[in-house]
Amino acid sequence: MAAKVGGKFGTFNKRIDYTFADIKPITTEFSRGTVPNSIVAMDRESAWARWRRGYEIAVAVGIQKSYNFPFRYTLPVPQGTSLPPGNDPVIIGVLQGFPTSNREFGIHWTGCRVSALLRFDNVFDSIGTRGSVASYTEDADYWYVTLAGTWSSVNPLPAPLYIPGVNGGEALKPLIGEVVEDRVLIPEGIPITAASRNPATDTRYGYVQTLLIDIDQNNGILKLQKNGSFEATIDGNFVTPATRPPAINRFLILGSRYACTCQDFTRRTYADFSKRNDSQIKKRFPYTRPAGLKFGRHEILTDSFGNVNNNADTELNNNRNLELTFQSIDNPGLFQDFGGRYLRNTSSPGASEGPVTFVDYKAKDNQIISFSDYWSPLLDEMRYCKHIYALRFQEGILLPEPSDLPVEMEEGIVNWEQRLTKEVANIKSNIDYMNSVKGLSYMDMPPKNLQSPQLLPMLQKLLNIPASFIRLQNFSLQNKDGSFT
Amino acid sequence: MTVEFGDVVETRYVTSEEQLKRSQFGFSPVSFSGSPIVYTPGDVVHLPYASGELSTLEAVGLAWGAFSSGVGPNP
Repeated sequence: MAAKVGGKFGTFNKRIDYTFADIKPITTEFSRGTVPNSIVAMDRESAWARWRRGYEIAVAVGIQKSYNFPFRYTLPVPQGTSLPPGNDPVIIGVLQGFPTSNREFGIHWTGCRVSALLRFDNVFDSIGTRGSVASYTEDADYWYVTLAGTWSSVNPLPAPLYIPGVNGGEALKPLIGEVVEDRVLIPEGIPITAASRNPATDTRYGYVQTLLIDIDQNNGILKLQKNGSFEATIDGNFVTPATRPPAINRFLILGSRYACTCQDFTRRTYADFSKRNDSQIKKRFPYTRPAGLKFGRHEILTDSFGNVNNNADTELNNNRNLELTFQSIDNPGLFQDFGGRYLRNTSSPGASEGPVTFVDYKAKDNQIISFSDYWSPLLDEMRYCKHIYALRFQEGILLPEPSDLPVEMEEGIVNWEQRLTKEVANIKSNIDYMNSVKGLSYMDMPPKNLQSPQLLPMLQKLLNIPASFIRLQNFSLQNKDGSFT
Repeated sequence: MTVEFGDVVETRYVTSEEQLKRSQFGFSPVSFSGSPIVYTPGDVVHLPYASGELSTLEAVGLAWGAFSSGVGPNP
């Protein structure tokens, strides 16, 4: 057996002839088939590798800005509701395509929903008090922030913080897992930046980023996590963890959110439709080996007539709905795996980071009693894929270097980095065109592909709204003149 | 500088001349004023919804509430 050669992400080593030729490699998390060196290398699929590769991609993408789609999404209102006059409710973000030679119709799509779309100066109690930060308590791990207003079981926190269950159904708290930041000083004010100064004192305001862990709707309390929090200090620096809770009397906003369609982020193995480097380029019928099928979630897309429709191309006037069912086997041909939730094991702050935990569902008596999709994102909570790392590098914050540097056998990391740099330059100048031709021949561009089986689940995670409220006709993308139409 | 509704308050990613030049692909004429890349990862936008308007937060709440009771969006 020999290690894979060539410049694919995750291939650290040159060809090495092992003496223990019969050792079967461990199946990879990146769906590259196998991890060739997993027996002899430590931490092969580390966050560090994603972080480093993300930087390389960020630089490469940043030059050309190809497949960059800023969008504005006007939220539809429920049936029977009319949109009041004035500014429309919008969600603003960017979709970035990453051409790839391997899977998923040739292009991975990564999305960013920008910051400050949801603002807590729009949270009102029953008598119209705005939900600023009124007070807080804390323990070793969390801040408990009470919002201004009068809250009770009769007047709980409003949607989307808390949506009561209908007819005995389960209550929803879809904002759990979002990043909150204390960046609005006065109602309807402009969000402050790390550089904003108080004119009275000429010192910076500073702000805090932290993760929303839980919501106590009857007492108006938000539970915020200290671990992994982030602070822009009055010195103009960024520190983590934050040294203070969100400031009293400010209004919270929701921070940026990211999602990606790649195998790493979705934790899925895509079916292999074709390979550009095949000796004979041919279409393949997507299939999944029976041995690869697992019990778990199946995402079903139906069109407006109720028919199952998994086409990659969609029609603008035929919106699709997404249904999740976990009482079936996987979607053969599209995915080989259901994905999962991959969190860092940070439940006990102060302790060193232990092994990652893999939480997908809870089961009792061979029945799945609760299914948790991959909702909790951001900060350091979820392991990003290399594409999201690339977008985060574009934020301009030099992300902290993950400490799980992969330790390999013979070749040093310096050689690997040098090869990586050359490889990315080569891909950008020679191979991307081919990947693009292939990708564009398989799938549409945004917004037309946004209801494809790959993108709709990703978009639901990104926008954090029900899939039925993701409507193609509500997307405005930038035209060639720079305006949104 | 006055920040209008929907404007970017803070962008972490400034497009250079070189990037603007290279982002003009194809042969059709492309015209734009200012930076054509409006929203980038890490941006913070200014959306000060006034009273009477439906804010993004309230609209997201309505959407999840409708989902919870089995109601779809307005066609």
